[in-house]
This record gives sequence, C-alpha cells and structure tokens, in this order.
Amino acid sequence: MSSHYESPYREPLVLGDKTYRQISADIVKSVAGPAARSWWIAFGISLALSLWGLGCILYTIGTGIGVWGLNKTIGWAWDITNFVWWVGIGHAGTLISAVLLLFRQKWRMSINRSAEAMTIFAVMQAALFPIIHMGRPWLAYWVFPIPNNFGSLWVNFNSPLLWDVFAISTYFSVSLVFWYMGLIPDFAMIRDKVTRPALRKIYAVLSFGWTGRAKHWQRFEELSLVLAGLATPLVFSVHTIVSFDFSTSVVKGWHSTIFPPYFVAGAIFSGFAMVQTLLSVVRKVLRLEDYITRLHIDYMNRVILLTGGIVAVAYITEFFIAWYSGSPFEDYTYLSWGAATGPYWWAFWSLISCNILIPQLLWIRSIRRNFVWTFVISIVINIGMWFERFTIIVVDLSKGYLPASWSMFSPTFVDIGVFLGTIGFFFVLFLLYSKNFPVIAQAELKTILKSSGENYKKRRDTDAQR
Amino acid sequence: MASAKKYWKGFGDLTSDPDSEAIETREFPTAIPIDPFLNGDGKAYDAQASRRDFLKWAGFSTAAATLAACEGPVVNAIPYVVKPDELNPGVADYYASTVYDGHDFSSVLVKTREGRPIKLQPNTSSGHYAYPNTRVQASLLSLYDIDCLKEPLIAGRAATWAQVDKRVRRDLDAATAAGQKIVLLTAPVISPTFSLLWKQFKQKYPSAEWVAYNPISNSGAVAAYQAVYGQTALPGYDFTKADVIVSVAADFLGDWFGGDHSRDYALRRNPNQAMSRHFQLESNLSLTGANADYRIPIKPSEQAQAVAQMYRAIAWGQQTRDPRIRAAIEALKKAGPAGLLVSGTNDGDVQLLVDAVNRKLRSRAYRPEAPVYLKAVTDAPVKGLISDMKDGRVGVLLSHRVNPVYDAPDSSAFVAALKNVKTFVSFDRRRDETASLAHVNAISHHAMERWGDAKPKIGIYTLQQPTIRPLFQSRQMEDSLIAWMGGVLEGVDAALANDSTATYIPPVTECKLTFHDLLKKNWTENILKGDSTWFSALRAGYYERRDELHPVSPADIDLSPALTRAENRYAKTGKIELQLYSEIGMGAGAQADNPWLQEFPDPLTRATWDNYLTISKVQADELGLKNWRDSKGALNGDRVNLSVKGRTVKNVPVLITAGQTYGSVGLAFGYGREKAGKTALINGNPIGVNAFQLYVDRDAIQTEVQIEKADGAHGFALTQLYDTMMGRGESIVKETTAQIYNRGKSDKSRYNPSEKLLTIDGKQPVSKVDMWAARDRSLGPWFNLSIDLNACTGCGACVVACHAENNVPVVGKDEVRRFRDMHWLRIDRYYASDMSYEKAEAEGRSEGRAFFRALEQPEENPEVVFQPVMCQHCNHAPCETVCPVAATSHGVQGQNQMIYNRCVGTRYCANNCPYKVRRFNWFRYAENDAFDFHMNNDLGRMVLNPDVVVRSRGVMEKCSMCIQMTQASILKAKREKRPLRDADLSTACATACATGALVFGDIDDENSEVHQLHDAEKNKRKYYLLEAVGTQPNVFYNLKVRNKIE
Repeated sequence: MSSHYESPYREPLVLGDKTYRQISADIVKSVAGPAARSWWIAFGISLALSLWGLGCILYTIGTGIGVWGLNKTIGWAWDITNFVWWVGIGHAGTLISAVLLLFRQKWRMSINRSAEAMTIFAVMQAALFPIIHMGRPWLAYWVFPIPNNFGSLWVNFNSPLLWDVFAISTYFSVSLVFWYMGLIPDFAMIRDKVTRPALRKIYAVLSFGWTGRAKHWQRFEELSLVLAGLATPLVFSVHTIVSFDFSTSVVKGWHSTIFPPYFVAGAIFSGFAMVQTLLSVVRKVLRLEDYITRLHIDYMNRVILLTGGIVAVAYITEFFIAWYSGSPFEDYTYLSWGAATGPYWWAFWSLISCNILIPQLLWIRSIRRNFVWTFVISIVINIGMWFERFTIIVVDLSKGYLPASWSMFSPTFVDIGVFLGTIGFFFVLFLLYSKNFPVIAQAELKTILKSSGENYKKRRDTDAQR
Repeated sequence: MASAKKYWKGFGDLTSDPDSEAIETREFPTAIPIDPFLNGDGKAYDAQASRRDFLKWAGFSTAAATLAACEGPVVNAIPYVVKPDELNPGVADYYASTVYDGHDFSSVLVKTREGRPIKLQPNTSSGHYAYPNTRVQASLLSLYDIDCLKEPLIAGRAATWAQVDKRVRRDLDAATAAGQKIVLLTAPVISPTFSLLWKQFKQKYPSAEWVAYNPISNSGAVAAYQAVYGQTALPGYDFTKADVIVSVAADFLGDWFGGDHSRDYALRRNPNQAMSRHFQLESNLSLTGANADYRIPIKPSEQAQAVAQMYRAIAWGQQTRDPRIRAAIEALKKAGPAGLLVSGTNDGDVQLLVDAVNRKLRSRAYRPEAPVYLKAVTDAPVKGLISDMKDGRVGVLLSHRVNPVYDAPDSSAFVAALKNVKTFVSFDRRRDETASLAHVNAISHHAMERWGDAKPKIGIYTLQQPTIRPLFQSRQMEDSLIAWMGGVLEGVDAALANDSTATYIPPVTECKLTFHDLLKKNWTENILKGDSTWFSALRAGYYERRDELHPVSPADIDLSPALTRAENRYAKTGKIELQLYSEIGMGAGAQADNPWLQEFPDPLTRATWDNYLTISKVQADELGLKNWRDSKGALNGDRVNLSVKGRTVKNVPVLITAGQTYGSVGLAFGYGREKAGKTALINGNPIGVNAFQLYVDRDAIQTEVQIEKADGAHGFALTQLYDTMMGRGESIVKETTAQIYNRGKSDKSRYNPSEKLLTIDGKQPVSKVDMWAARDRSLGPWFNLSIDLNACTGCGACVVACHAENNVPVVGKDEVRRFRDMHWLRIDRYYASDMSYEKAEAEGRSEGRAFFRALEQPEENPEVVFQPVMCQHCNHAPCETVCPVAATSHGVQGQNQMIYNRCVGTRYCANNCPYKVRRFNWFRYAENDAFDFHMNNDLGRMVLNPDVVVRSRGVMEKCSMCIQMTQASILKAKREKRPLRDADLSTACATACATGALVFGDIDDENSEVHQLHDAEKNKRKYYLLEAVGTQPNVFYNLKVRNKIE
C-alpha cells in the first residue's frame, strides 16, 4: 500500500507500540473514566475565575462603563485589547485544521482537534468584549442588519465594527461546523466503546447516527475539503477585518496600510503560542505523550518563528516609517521613540522583548524541541501579544493629535476582573472539552498510523532488512 | 307640547335621498368585510379565506387587543387651567434684568420657559455691562439650589414672617431706645432706589448706619479717586481709545474694578484695523497677561516701583533705570493721548501716580469724568464697625450678601465682636459661615425673584425684575426693611401701589407697600424724568442718561510724598512674595457651592475644583516641590504650609505654573469655604484653602512669606495635562505678528500657508485631496462657526453658557481627575515653547527622551494662546464612518449630528475624533445620588433646558451647534413666511461671547457675517484645525496675530 509508506528518514508522528485498537482505548479512557483530582482543582479555579468575571461584567452593565479606567481621550483599552488578543489566539486552530489539511500536512492530525476547540472557545471570549464594551449592551442587537420598526434605520455598512460583526460571526459558525463535523466519527467510536448506557445514549445523539459506511466516509471527506476551503480565507479575512478597526481610522499609529498582513501574522503567532501552551499541559495530564511529540512542537515552533519574523519586520517598518515621516504627529505612535521613552515604556519594552527578542531562542534546535522551553516561550509570546494590542490601542489613543487632550489609562479592578473572567471561562470550556470530547482526531490519526507510526516504521525497517 | 323640531343629519336626510335612508337602516355605514370568511349563505365551512387565514386574523386581533391593554410608563403633563396670556408652553420668553450679587454685575436677558428662568444671556442692546461673565451666568443655578434656606428662621428654627417682623421690630426699637447703633452691613450696593429707601429707614431709626464691605478691597484706588476728584468712585476707562496699553498687574479682562472691558479691548485687537499694543507687568500669569503682546514678569513688590518709574519718566522726563520696562515707557510716551496706564494695585499712592501719568499723557482712554460706582467702597467703615461691635455699641446688625466670617482677614475678631451684638439678622439665602451665626435669618430673594435697580457707572441705570414667583418663603431685603419701618413709604401712597404692575403679587409680606412701588416712583420721578416710561425702561432693562456726564476738575495734589511712599513701600521684602488674586471662575467665593463654577476649568491652569499655590518651575525646584502624574495621568502635587506675618494656612497644594515670576507665588481667593453647601465640600472637607486668611491688612501683596513643605500629596483635577503644542503648532494654532501680517496681507503664504499633501500629481492643497463626494448644500442653510483667536480672551463665558444651554452634566472632582469632564466646549490653553529639533540639536538633547521632555516644557515666561474647541462638525467626519449603527451622521445644514437614541456606546467615534470633542456618559449623571449636584433633585433639574434631552448612561454626546436654537429660528422664519436672517442664527457660545470671537451663521447667505469670514480670499486669517487630516470642518479659526515687533 503506497499510501501507507513514508520515508524512513522522517520521524514518526505516533510513538510507541500503537495499534488501531490502542488508539481508541487511549481516547476512550479519559472520556469513560472518572475525572482526575487535578482536573477538578483546575476546573474549580477556572469556574471561580469565570464567576468573578461574570460579577464584574454584571457590575459594569448595572453601573456603567465608568467602572472601567477609560476616559474621554482613551475610549478603548483592556476591552478591545482582550478582544483582539482572543480573536488572534483563535487563528491557529483554523490554520492547523484547514490550511494544513489543504496542504496535506499529516502532522496536524494529533493537534487539530484541540486547536480547533481552542479557536471556538477563544472566539467566544472575544465575542463577549464587543458586546460588553458597549455603553448600552442591551441594544447590542442593533448592530445586526435586521428589519426593524424604528423607521428606516439600518446599520452603517461603512463601519469596520460592522464588518467585525460579520467576520466574527461567520468565522465562529464555520469553525464550529468544521469542528463538530470532525468530531462525528470520533463520537461514534466512543459511543461504540463506552459501557455506561447513559453515556452511550449521549454519544449516540452527538454522533448523529454515524455508522461508518463507505458513503459516510466519502461525504465526510468531501465536506472536510469544502469546509477547509471555506475556512482558509477566513483565517486571513478575520484578522484583516479586525485590523481594519484600526487601519481605516484617522488615529496616528492606527492608520497604517501594513496592518492586515501584520495582524494576520501576529494572530497566527499568538495562536500557535497558545496551542503550544495548552498542548504542553494536555499531553501531560491526559497522557498523550505518544501522540503529541517533539516533532509536533518543533513544527509549530517553526511556524512561530516564521510568523514572529513577519511581525518583527512589521514592527521595524512601523518604527522606521514613524521616524522617516518626520511628522511630529508620529512622535508618539506605539512604535516610536516617544512610546519607548514615554510613560508606557514598560509596555513598549515588554512587547519588544516578548515578541521579538525571546522567540529568537527558537532558532536553537534543542530549545525548539524542548517541552519546557517551548511552554515558557509560548507563555512569553502570549503576554507579548497582549501588550502589542495594549500599546496599539492605549498608547496611540493616549497621545493623539491635540496635546491638550493627552491623557493616560490605568485599569480598575473591574477591567482586570473581566479579563481574568474570560480566562477562567475559556478554561472552564476547555477543561469540559478535554474531559468529555475526543481530544485527538483519532479517526483521522488512524489513517496515518501505518505510514507514520513508530511501531509500523520499525517493522517496515526490519521487514526490509529481512 | 312635544317638540316638532327635527335636526337634519345631512342634505340626504332633508331631501329623503334613498341612499341615505338605506344607510340609516344599517348598523355600520360601510359593510364590514366578513364575506371572505363566510361563503355566500353565511356558512363558514365553504369560505373564501382558509382556516389558517382566519386563525391569523383572529390571532392578530387578540394580540393587538392584548397589547393595547398594556400601558407604558405614564408621565403626567399638567396643562394650565388658566393659561397666563404672556406664556406659551414651548415658547421661550425673555426678560431684561440685572444680576448683581454684591460681587458680579451684569445686565442680562433672562430666558424663561414655562415660567422658569433657564438661562442668562447678554442684554446686547445695553452698551454697558451687557455680557455676563462665567459667574453671573452660573448664578442662575443658585436659584434652584436645594441647599438654600426655604423659610425664615429665628434662632435656627423655622418661623413665620409675622414672627420675624415682630422680633426684629422689637429689637430695632430696643436698640434705638438704648442708643445703640443699628448697622446694615452689605456688599457694595449701587441701587439708587435703595439709597432712597435707606434715607427713610434712617428717619425711622436714626441710629441706623450703613456699612458697605467688599471682600476684595479696592480701597486704595477709591481713595485716590476721591482725593483727586472728590467722589467715592473709580475712574472709567475706554479701551477702544487706547493704542498702547500698559497694565501693571491690572487684570482688566478679569475682575479688575468690576470688569466690563473685554469687549472694548477686543475691538482694538483686530489686526485688520489699527491694533492696540498691550504691555503687561505682573507676577501671576493672569488672563490679561495671557493676552498681552509683551508680558514682563516682575515681582509683586516691584509694581509700585514700576509705576513710580513710569511717573518719573513721563511726568518728569527722567531716564528709566529698569531695562525691563523701558520699552513700555517709550511706547506710552510715543502714543501720548492714545496711551493708557492701568494698575491693579490697591495702593492709593500708586493709583495717584497712575492718575497723574494718564492725565499727563492726556489719555483719551482714561475717563475720570465717567466714574464707576461698582465696587467703589473703602475699607475704613468696616474697621470701625468691628470696634463698635466689640464695644457693644451695635444693637442690631443686619447683613446682606456679605460673609465676613469667611472672607474678612480678621474674621476671628469679627466673630468675637459679634458676641456683643444683641441681634444679628442675616438676609442671606444660605446659612453660610456668617449667616449660620445669625439670630434671625430673614431670607431674601434670588436675583431672579426680586425687584431692584443699579447704577454701576455714571449715567447708566439698570433695572432688575422678577422672572419667577419666589420659590420659597423668602422676602427681598428691601421689603423686609419696609415691613420693619412699619409698612409706610414716604411719598408713595397706597393708590399708586394698587395701580402697580398687575402681574406682580408680593407673596409674603405683611404690608401693602413694597420696594417695587418705591422703585417705580423713583424711576419715574428721578431717573426717567419724563424722557421715557417705566415700562419701556423695564422692557429694555436699562436706561442711559447722557446728561449726567460732566467734565471733572482734578484737585491739584502734591504727588512727591505719594511718590516717595510708593517707592519705599516694599523696601524690605523677603525672598518669596505672595500675590493673592481672584480666578475668573470663582471670584471671591460667594458661589463656591455652584457646581458649574467648580467644574469650570481655570483658563490658565485648567484646574477644576481647587485653588493652589502657583509657583515657577525654578522656584519649585529650589524648594524641592514637585508635581507628578500618576498612572491615570492625573496630576499630583506636594503641599506646603504658607505663612504670612504669623498667620499660617496649612496644606496648600502646589501647582507649578509657567509664567509665574521667579520669587513670587500666587494663591486664589474664593476657596476653603466651610459652610457653603454640599458642592463646596468633598468628603466633608472644604475644597481648597482660604486665601483670605493671608489677606493681612487687606493687601493682596504680601512680601514676608514663609513656605514650608508639608506632608502628603494633593490630587488635582486638571482638564488639560500637557501645556505645549509639542512641535505641532503649525497644524493647531497658527500665529504671526502684526508686522508680518500687515506687510504680507496679499500673500498669505508667509503667515498662513495652506497645508499641502504630496500626491502622485505633486503637492496639492488638502482640499484637493479628497476621496469623498462633496456634501449637498442645496437644501437650506449651511452653518459654520468662525473662531477668532485674536478676539478670544479665554474668559470661558461660552463654557458656562454651553453648560446651561445644553444640560451638560457636572461630574465632580474625582471624575474630572479621571479625565472624564463633560464639557462640550473647552478652551485649550497652550504655552509657547521655543523648542525645536534644531535648537535641541544645538543643545545636545535632540535624542529620544530628552527631546520629548524638552518639548513638553513651556518657556519660563511663555506666550499663551487660548483655543476654544468644540465639535468641528466635519463634512468628512471620521466619527460618522465608524459608527456601526449610524448613530452619528451628517445633517443637511452641515452639522454632524449625534442621535442619542440610536447610540449603543461603542466609543469608536470618540477614538476616531482627531479633536477629542466627544464625551461619553460613563454613568447616569442625572437622578443619580452618586453625582450629588443639581441634576439629582427636582429643584435643581428646573434649570434644565426643555429643548435639549438629558442624555442617558452609555451614550456619546457632543456639541450639536445648538441645533435646538437654529431649528427654532428656522421654524419662526417659516411661520412668519420670511427668509432666514443672519440675526436669527446663533449658538449659546456665540451669544455669550463678549468679544465677538465666535461668529455663527449661514455661509450660503451672502449677507451674513460668517459668509464674509468664510471667504478665504477676504479673510486671510482663516484656517482649519488639523487641516491635513482632511476632515473639512464647518468650524474654522482665524489665526492669532500678536502686535509685536520682531
């Protein structure tokens, strides 16, 4: 079988003495068994955080946006920073599952399920912010072009915020369908393996009556391709449109033509970092070391290096243009001497060191393939990318055109609480997912077991020698 | 007999038309369309309409009936049972009146809606004191002050007027019998009719004495005038006649001698005509100094010497020793009769010299023959009063509009002496520091509720009329005096009284005759003298008698002793001198509880809700005093203990201020009020410190000052945190000198180059680089606002006018500190900085941080510019494109409109606004006790303009170009079937502007003033703020021209 052949020089993607049956067992084990104590602790902390965040959100809605640290000059700060950060994180999942599918990158199969779950949960957090940052969130539905009885009122199609509404909602729905579709054969497998009748019933419903007929598989493959084709442009469009929020404005520092590619690269950069963070934990906790290997993190780190490089070039371009323009209005944009030496120097230098300097360590092969190093660097990148959005929004707004209106921003406990709340809520969802869902796309993975599994590779070697 | 009458229902009935007979037999005139639901023979099963249709219709009807039964929130509007003739709901009435509270004086037009005064506007027909300043405009809010007394009190308990009258008359009689004095202590009173009344009061109570008291003394200047011209007054000035103005610390655009010089001054600041040249010698940077062409920093003690040198130079032709003032003296000499010297000092000797200099110059601008009576009182009587009180010679003390317990420098002596006064009656509406010590609080009316008159200046008479029935059980002071006189007025009989203006019913008085009757009689007989009628004077609000103006003959005084005294006055001075001053926003502090004034940013420091020690940067560094910004950007400062001659004021916050002369510090009066009501307190502590404590000998200049650093830090609430234009001047405030402007009038590229952008077709003017379609201007007017930076003095009257007109909320110190003030109109103040990249390079600090720090630092004695900024109503508005719900969009008259109902509050518009004029409702500011100002109570809300919606939480708001005013004018013109005239159109800010800096109108109307200004060919000074952004605003600026010689 030629499709089951892979060059022996390539490293195996599945380690250990795995068979089809073994893979199924590994997946079902965590779903069918009771949750570990560590899971409950993590879940408890996340739930507490998310409830705290919910409290802060309700306080905001009940009292007014004034409970945040914003002012007349700085109308957005942590809210939109968090929004862009979460949306950016989401990008890796779609890139892994859709773009890598189209490019026939088999290594994606161990990680795409969790990456996609991360996408969906991150987009859910992101979508929260545009709603709660409104002064009157109970009227949030006004941003949808729905027929109404307010006269001839219609939304403003010129506004990038409206484009955001379409971009995010499309992205979320396509991602959700794509993710769920991939889950169906795996749910069916679990349905067939679990013994408890209640669980079996639940997974029976979730698996939509999948029987694994050839026709099912054929449709599955076709739909995968179609959805991958749909999702791929979304990878680029969503963050492009998010960047339009800034680049179509007249604010100095925002009004920049390189924002779309630079934001997309930044999003993938931060998204892969988040995947690394999550999978480093998941592979340990769920004992998936055989499936998520050094090779996987190596590949992902290479993507991080590439996109991080694009981001670095964008930073340098921005800095250069701000200086080269000679315009006094560019003196204080988020990448300029004014920002580097001004009151937000710490944000500026966090951004430079976390996003440009520290990730350069990944050029070293041993660090790139080291789980601990990867984990640490991925966290650093996540922090750096948050600061990137913070400086873009706050530094640029704080020193606008008229010096008479310059001001500064300092978060209140509510700002911080809402952000922590979304982190908590994200982990609540992710923990529920990792406990109850097949965290590895086992059906797909089985298709490469014979070509890329360590066991089969070894056997092939011995066969050849014989 | 049964009636045979028949009532026809119509012609058909009369003619017995068969059709109408047929109709009559039917229950409904037209058939109800039930056929579709029934088939021909009335059976439902075979019907045309399907069962589903039937259910649809039935369901809809049921739902509609149910919904109709629901009720929305009901707000009752109660109509007039008997509508007053002159009052139409929804239509504003205007009454000419006068506001005078003992401190600030102005003729006003009171705008009333449904009987409520809601705004004070200039009475422009009056040529004098026509433009109310910030404080006069804000005084309206005090009418609706929930904190004021609502009924008279005896010993702190509510009483009736009958009880009050009984008690006071008893005490007055007792004092008369005991031979004790009855003293009326008032703020300077300029009412001719009151003087008449007082004469009669004195007849009844011969031991009565009237003492006028001015918290900020003008005594020296009055004494000087008295010495030379034999009259208790201050000299008049006509700034339109001055080519050269030399002011020695006279803040004549502020409070100096009662004000009212801004308009005259600004008339001569138009660079297209002969522009005056203004020298200002001062230590604190004042509003006037900020407008000067040349500002010469001197120490407070040097003022007297400066005037003395000018006297020596001009009267005696001596050489001037001091190089700093030589230019000013030369200019004065050269100008001769077109020169004017003014001085802010309260030193009589110095004022004598000033008078002599002006007379020597034969200054046309100096008009001693037109004396000013406003604030013309001397200090001596007050000193006598305190000793009289101490010795028990005062039986009854009546006080009106004075607060010596707060603002007398020797207030403790006053309080101690008060213990020896048997009866202390206060007429003040508020239980302030003084009134709270009163035995009887016989509360008087607010200016909006009372009758009165005034004579601020020779030949100028103004009338004050009530515009609302008294809100509480108050009675105006004059009526109280009449009641205590036994209700008898000499020369006024009851017949005349009954004949009086029918609409006026004195609400609470025991007597038939009121002050109104005396007023009318006095005006008719002694003021109008048959030249005009009472009603026409009342309608105009003022009357001018030119025949009172007579030439004066100055007494010949030997000035050499005065000169010697002036030169030696401050022979011995300390290292640091203190100059006390009054802010344009707070004045002497009588209205410290007024939320509009507390939130009004000082034009120079841009601070709200505070007073502070102004100090120069160098001095602060020497003393180790610092200002620093916290992480929110808000400014904090060190605090000091300030001592003058053994008196100490503790914990005075220090604000480092550009333009403060080294060796001097400044402190504003009017703060530190302990009993001024809730607004003047924060957490129970008074706002600011009481500078009157240091007003030793009632001298605003103190030369023996100790400053000692105190513990702790003070948080300021500044509305502007950066002082300079950071090298962006060419796009923000353009300025030039008169020399360049006049030489290059035809070629404006020398001083007003249009901004150009580099395009593929070469450099193009901004207006040519445009991706948007032009706005359609064919429908109706197209409104523009012109702002003349030369005429704007920065006084801020427009800011308060905008507050009043547009129901702008007050947010309080904490929120202003968070940079969330809601002012729709702000006046940015920039200090000049001569820092440039080239200069920095030469000084070796052109790199990074050092350069930016250098740019931020204003010069030590900077040129100042004021720039009013409101929504620029851009034709290509950045805010309009970004709103997702189109809540802000362009009007057909050019305005950028904000639709509050549609706003969901994303704040994207505010972020994208290059001018940062949009204001977000972070909280609900109305009906919210967290914002305990005037909008959380029914009384305070009476000031709200019913034409402007009160914005709810979570929506964006901003300047609307007073669309409610322009729409009302348009409707009026429509109703009167005439085209719109230029005079119909205005905005609150343009109306309030005394100097004509703001001109509003229709640029498509060729007869309008703004049309002329908008024409860049005719008006070479026109430019747009941040033109290069391409927003194409409907607000434009006229660049600043300084009359300087390079």
